[in-house]
Amino acid sequence: MLMEKNQVENGFIINLSNVKNTTQLVFELSSIMEHPDVKGKNVCLKLGSLDLKQSQLLSIKALIESMSATLAFIDTISEQTEASASSLGIMISKVDENAITEGITPEAHEEIKDEMVEVKTETGEINNKQAVEIMADIKLPDFSPIETTEGIEDIYDETSTQELSEIIPSDNFESADFTSLAEHEGLIPKEDSSKYILLDTGNVLPEGIEENSEDTSSMPTLYLSQTLRSGQTVSYEGNILIIGDAHPGSEIVAGGDITVWGILGGIAHAGCNGNITSKVRALKLNAIQLRIAGLYARRNDTLNVPYVQKSNEFSPEEAQIEDGKIVIYKKLRRD
Amino acid sequence: MTGRVIVITSGKGGVGKTTTSANIGTALAKSGYKVVLIDTDLGLRNLDLLLGLENRIVYTIVDVIEERCKLKQALVKDKKNPNLSLLAAAQTRDKTAVNAEQLKEICETLKEENDFVLVDCPAGIEQGFQNAVAGASEAIVVTTPEMSAIRDADRIIGLLATKEEITSTKLLLNRVRPSLIKSNEMMSVDDVVGILEIPLVGIIPEDTGIITSTNKGEPIVNDENALAGKAYRNVAQRILGEEVPFLDLDEPKGFMAKIKNAIAKLKVKV
Repeated sequence: MLMEKNQVENGFIINLSNVKNTTQLVFELSSIMEHPDVKGKNVCLKLGSLDLKQSQLLSIKALIESMSATLAFIDTISEQTEASASSLGIMISKVDENAITEGITPEAHEEIKDEMVEVKTETGEINNKQAVEIMADIKLPDFSPIETTEGIEDIYDETSTQELSEIIPSDNFESADFTSLAEHEGLIPKEDSSKYILLDTGNVLPEGIEENSEDTSSMPTLYLSQTLRSGQTVSYEGNILIIGDAHPGSEIVAGGDITVWGILGGIAHAGCNGNITSKVRALKLNAIQLRIAGLYARRNDTLNVPYVQKSNEFSPEEAQIEDGKIVIYKKLRRD
Repeated sequence: MTGRVIVITSGKGGVGKTTTSANIGTALAKSGYKVVLIDTDLGLRNLDLLLGLENRIVYTIVDVIEERCKLKQALVKDKKNPNLSLLAAAQTRDKTAVNAEQLKEICETLKEENDFVLVDCPAGIEQGFQNAVAGASEAIVVTTPEMSAIRDADRIIGLLATKEEITSTKLLLNRVRPSLIKSNEMMSVDDVVGILEIPLVGIIPEDTGIITSTNKGEPIVNDENALAGKAYRNVAQRILGEEVPFLDLDEPKGFMAKIKNAIAKLKVKV
């Protein structure tokens, strides 16, 4: 389905054509969408060759709408994504691949602000030629990133963007040795290794369920934008992404990864179907219990502070199984 | 061994049922008795927080009832005292997940291997209360010296009287402030006992230490110096059948206060 109207006034093109999987896409997108300038704007996504299922595309649409923006159209070269989009009634603009490469990709690599380009077109149908014109008409955004995008700046300064583009396209990204990759990315094991202590629970996996290491990036992702309060439970067979805090007393149970864009204070159980490669990530990892597959760990009693003061200084943390233990990695800030 | 099953109830919320359960349980365990605490406040559990055991809970009472685990697996051992264990309530469920028969069965099983089974009752007189009371043979009614709490305690005592299994109902008066009683702003212990007409098992003074102890997850009976801790230890001893005099709450605590008190007494004599 081609775009019938191409009034993309008051909008952005977000170039995500380099992302490899959905998790990464949602991560990138949510960090961009946090920018206050995005509110109320039309968003056009460049999805490149990424194959998206209908449910995944719906989650992405919901993510954009939760930030008070509208998904105006997408640009994709994947047939599956195209089919998903048509079934959801999302408009597609077919743009020649070469045109994109010439038009936007080189600049977009360099800095995140180039990925958020204001698109101002008059009238007329979008076709290949038009697309090139739009790309050529890129104006550098008016807003100054320093004022409002402190968080984004921290992560996407020039050096880190270069590193990202070095690592992500490599074929062995998924299978790369995490430790060396982690060191390269500024992820180091947390010094306080006693933050979580394994509980002697015996076999807690339900009968008939065995340990496995299925790739979590191929699982569907449930996206939620809300505060999870005491007594509330979210469970999903795939990955769970929560934009908001998970308060103590809440429970998140996922077949795959759990990502909390906020403070994680309740119980988080990743890989509940025995997936030992599942991970739990949060801006502040303060879960009362961390559970990955059949391993249960409790927070150390010395850290018994159920409510964490909100802060802009949080460094994302990631928990995973290593040598039969739950290990926590911390992303270091680069400032 | 057949242990005693005691339900700790109040009717009104916020008078200190859970604090009382945690402290009496800890005090009894410290005296060498085997104690199990059961939190029956499904959906609004707190007892685990007061004991600092939240991070150790894997299975709850609902998991036991729905047979996802054995009763023994669900008992969380206390950090310090191996004699004390907790059967936690489920936080993500509500009172209807359990019925009175099931709770009675759990109490029956637990009292075979423990000296005391203390049941922390939720506020109210609905199903949560009916469940908690089901397995108990004794009750401690917690109240504070306020009209609203006393009215609710009176209602609870009336309900407990209709339960044949409950053979003893005792009163625990919480958050007593001697200075307010002196200035006639608070009902005295005698007033409250006069209204409710059941035997007193303890008088607990208002103590700001309770707030810090709750936040730290450390029952105040573990604090040798706290007055409320001492009062709870006395309650435990009375439950064990010992005759312990009630604390003289009028006694000034500080050294200067003692001198002032002595001078005041002298003046009276002169």
